[in-house]
Amino acid sequence: MDSLSLIREFLQGRLGVASEKVVPDVTLDELGVDSLMVLELMFEFEERFGLALAKDLKTPRTVGEMASLMDRLRSEQSS
Amino acid sequence: MDAHRVAITGLGLVSPFGRDLDDFFQHLLNSESAVRLLRLDDPPRPLAIPFVVCDAFDAGRDLGKALSGTLDRFAQLGLAAAFAAWDDAGFERRSDNESRDGWGVAWGSALGGTLAYEKGYREMWIHGRERISPLSVVLGMNNAANAQISIQLGLGGISMSYTVACASSTIAIGEAFRRVRSGEAAVMVTGGSDVPQAYGVARAWDALRVLAAGDETSAATACRPFSADRDGLVLGEGGAALVLEEWEHARARGARIHGELIGYATTCDHSHLVRPHAAGQIRALRATLADASLVADELDYINAHGTATLEGDPVEVEAIRAVWNGSRHGPAVSATKSLHGHLLGAAGAIEAIVTVLALREGAIPPTAHLQRVDPACTGIDHVVEARCGQALRTALSSSFAFGGSNAVLAFRAPPQSLSTEET
Repeated sequence: MDSLSLIREFLQGRLGVASEKVVPDVTLDELGVDSLMVLELMFEFEERFGLALAKDLKTPRTVGEMASLMDRLRSEQSS
Repeated sequence: MDAHRVAITGLGLVSPFGRDLDDFFQHLLNSESAVRLLRLDDPPRPLAIPFVVCDAFDAGRDLGKALSGTLDRFAQLGLAAAFAAWDDAGFERRSDNESRDGWGVAWGSALGGTLAYEKGYREMWIHGRERISPLSVVLGMNNAANAQISIQLGLGGISMSYTVACASSTIAIGEAFRRVRSGEAAVMVTGGSDVPQAYGVARAWDALRVLAAGDETSAATACRPFSADRDGLVLGEGGAALVLEEWEHARARGARIHGELIGYATTCDHSHLVRPHAAGQIRALRATLADASLVADELDYINAHGTATLEGDPVEVEAIRAVWNGSRHGPAVSATKSLHGHLLGAAGAIEAIVTVLALREGAIPPTAHLQRVDPACTGIDHVVEARCGQALRTALSSSFAFGGSNAVLAFRAPPQSLSTEET
């Protein structure tokens, strides 16, 4: 599953955010995703792909930033 | 001290009967039990005990998915009850038109987010995971309910949780009462919530040999306080909330006043962790009457702690007999746990609501399933069938907890002109 779809699935399931609102330019804050939920989303991401994110990782601000972060980490893992 | 009168302007409950407060009270008057057999078949051990579940409560629907997702069920039930009480009091959820900086929350919970911790243990020990959700901390913390109530309603004063076993919410209400009476807070949200169906918790109570037995057919009558054939208590989940408001503040905004909180006291038996002692309860009852400036003869009703344990009930009856010994007429007494179960840290709050409704409606709900009073529990006026059309003035609600902590609240019926809704 691509990263954007993963984020959509999470936000739909956990917060009831409609998938069509989850587009790259929108900020997580606008979708009602606070810092706690970002942590939870990262945790699920780590669990699903067996990754461990660095503690000092910069928190993504938008859906697009989140998706490209996920893409990068997944590609680093598989390379 | 310049004492302020304390009005009860909001009542809210997640009813085990699934509907509103009036429906809940009517069920009690009809002696209809909310107790059912609870079956949990999760590995490694199934569980089947008489229990009270709020199965019509849907946190996602009632609180919204985003909010409910960051709350353990104890806090979900608490927040839903607090919202109901707040709406009932006629306040807006948002504080746009007034400063709520001095308004606060005092909340009772014996267990807090135990269910969240249990989920974490399962993940690690049963499913072999090495990490648990970062939300576990905020889900599990004992002050999650009061913190979220303060956040949601914009209350900037004290926000505190009280963990005193089965007296948790009676003490929370009492401490909130003192803050309003002293003038420290114009408005306090108070009450309690608990969710005792965590395996570890239910099994622990079972091991203590104080849970009532029951199967599919007998579960509804499993909790029989004061009865010769009682065999234990029935646990239940729930949330119950009251809005306490300084009297003139309530009058000025034309609020409906359900009743008045007029006294509170708490004592400790200082003798044993689980064996109650009448002397400590007697001191709590007398101190509450004194705090409310009541003489024993003036009291019409007691909503008893009455859990239906073999050991607890006779001690409570002994205490009531001692306090009303020599009175012309003693108060009517009933234990409504027979119908709504023992909600642990929410018990005092749901029973405070029952007591307020009894005074307001002039109707006393019964101790259900009480056909033959235990000889050790005689000598008081047991209510075995609802008594309606009563002119009730004052009442007590008692909670006598493990740890020997005793807490009693005193209530007065609302003035007739203030108890009806504005039309």
